[in-house]
Amino acid sequence: MIRKMLSLLVALAMVLAIGATALAEDEGFNPDNEAGMNFQDMRATFGAIPALEGEVKLGAVAKAFENEYWRTLKEGYEAFAAKMQAVGQNVIVDVRSAQGEGDEQGQLSIVKDMVNKQYTALLLSPISDSNLTPGVEDAIKAGIPVINVNDGLIEIAPNFVGPRAVENGERAAAWIAEKINFEGKVAVVIGMPKAFAARQRTLGFVNWMAENAPNVEVVEQQNADWDRSKAKDLATTWIRKHPDLKAIFCNNDTMALGVVEAVSAANADILVVGVDGIGEAYDSIREGGMDATVDSFPFYKSQIAAEASLRLLAGQELPRVIWTPQALIDSTNVDMAAADIIGWTEAEFSAQ
Amino acid sequence: MKSIHVGRIFKNRSSSLVVVLLLLVVVFSVINPIYLSVYNLVDIIEQATINGLLAIGITFAIITGGIDLSIGSTMAVVIVTTGLMLVNGIDIWVCILAGVALGFAMGAINGFMVTKMMLQPFIATLGSMSIFRGIAYILTGGWPVLRIPKTFRTLVDGDIIASIPSSIFLLFAFALICHIILRHTRQGTYFLAAGGNEEATRLSGVNTDRSRLYAYGLCGVGAALAGLVMLARLGTGEPTAGLGYETNAIAAAAIGGTSMAGGRGSMVGTVLGALTLSALKVGLVVLGVDAFWQYIAMGSIIVVAAYFEVIQSKLEKRMSRLRKA
Repeated sequence: MIRKMLSLLVALAMVLAIGATALAEDEGFNPDNEAGMNFQDMRATFGAIPALEGEVKLGAVAKAFENEYWRTLKEGYEAFAAKMQAVGQNVIVDVRSAQGEGDEQGQLSIVKDMVNKQYTALLLSPISDSNLTPGVEDAIKAGIPVINVNDGLIEIAPNFVGPRAVENGERAAAWIAEKINFEGKVAVVIGMPKAFAARQRTLGFVNWMAENAPNVEVVEQQNADWDRSKAKDLATTWIRKHPDLKAIFCNNDTMALGVVEAVSAANADILVVGVDGIGEAYDSIREGGMDATVDSFPFYKSQIAAEASLRLLAGQELPRVIWTPQALIDSTNVDMAAADIIGWTEAEFSAQ
Repeated sequence: MKSIHVGRIFKNRSSSLVVVLLLLVVVFSVINPIYLSVYNLVDIIEQATINGLLAIGITFAIITGGIDLSIGSTMAVVIVTTGLMLVNGIDIWVCILAGVALGFAMGAINGFMVTKMMLQPFIATLGSMSIFRGIAYILTGGWPVLRIPKTFRTLVDGDIIASIPSSIFLLFAFALICHIILRHTRQGTYFLAAGGNEEATRLSGVNTDRSRLYAYGLCGVGAALAGLVMLARLGTGEPTAGLGYETNAIAAAAIGGTSMAGGRGSMVGTVLGALTLSALKVGLVVLGVDAFWQYIAMGSIIVVAAYFEVIQSKLEKRMSRLRKA
């Protein structure tokens, strides 16, 4: 019995090892490694958006509106449609979401429905890397342009619009290094280890430190599954273990807000930096809780994605990846208007 | 009423769990002495409070032969509702009582579906998990409730003695009350009997429907208390709170020796189960174990703890056979 179990375990280990090496060789599509273009360059290269004929019905599918990020993205899409209508373009955006971040099938049904109803173009943010693939295949077959809007990756989507995730981590690292005079211990609270954004943000942070701040030591890296309470627990233990910890970088703001609670409970002097730029993080920065956040401006991200879809429909050959703006927000610029921070200007239309 | 017997409290699973827990503490302390510092031991218990309260609650549901998948969502509704009441300046104790009553009511709704509507517990609470979560989102429009008053936070999770927060006392008080309900009241015997053999229990004149309704109500109370602790600890009431927390609560009950088929379980075991999970989690963090391996460690502890008991009962049988021979 025990011998049987052992041989079974050995066999399992061998299969896993083979699988692991196969995986390691093929990482798949990673937008962070592509030669992308930012929105200013896109506009400079391709000029004004060509005028369109007839009705354009964009179908946007988000992950889950219970998350502030996706609600803001939705507002951006709707703002874009309103602006287009104001300049006489017949653009409608239908923004829908799955029922929670676990509803992979439901999200696919929405996409399939949009393909069947022959929407003009699709802007998709998939829950997993694979759940929308069948819908995207149908769309491509039907000749409907598909843009993958961060976050979530669709390997077979011809275009991707989003911020460079690895840069989120790099910006946080650069800010922290500066504040702690390029030396001391820092830690990273990871989101879900399987999530692309979590992986890239952590990688960007750790690599930037290794290259630019050799005296900064990343002493801890653990996941808290994007959960505020779990992040607080992690930080509590770390603060006990490293009384000289100088900063904690969190893969998102929700976790950073949990870490702030741990830091203030321990009466420690530790910098806390998050990612996303949610409203609560802005409030926390104003009140001296969190120290900084890297904002990816979802309100503008969706407008850039929608703009890119119109350009594709007009036949412009955009690069596969369009970068959307991001910026580090701390007490010095927390009250500045987002449009000023990222240098936002409205898209221009060529006259009909 | 049976007399409280220390030896009986720690029989079977609980005694093997104490061994597992001590082993964990010893191993982690040897590898990194920081683990044994008093603060860290307090942290381990503190980090077990939310899961512990949930686990105590769900133990009632499981003992009656059921399950409650909705506890994470129940927690979120209590968090959001109590949070909204608190920021609107309603008296703290009124808010706390309302939160606990709300938890009981939501649990009783589950109980109603299971008994009167005769739905399978898994299906009924799968439904209410989604319904309750929806209610939590609707109450705040998806936004978190910010700026929970300091007074509430200090009362529920502030330090009482040295750096031991009140939530730890709440956990042990709730555990003690539930232990007494389960082991020393008639209703507790009915819970166990309903889970062991419902038909026979009902035929012997016990109102099993009412017993199971109470069991789910108590389960909701556990979730409500967990919610209050989380609200106090984080100072923000998120409608997304407690997503997926039911799995850890079930794990704590299972490690504690609660039979998933019903009819067997103990509150001492469940609390020890929650402490074991927390001791392991903190240990893995102190050692800096890679996240992917933590999943394997957390799963293994469930299997190991269960297998410890199997070995123990085998040994006992062999010993008694030897004694007879």
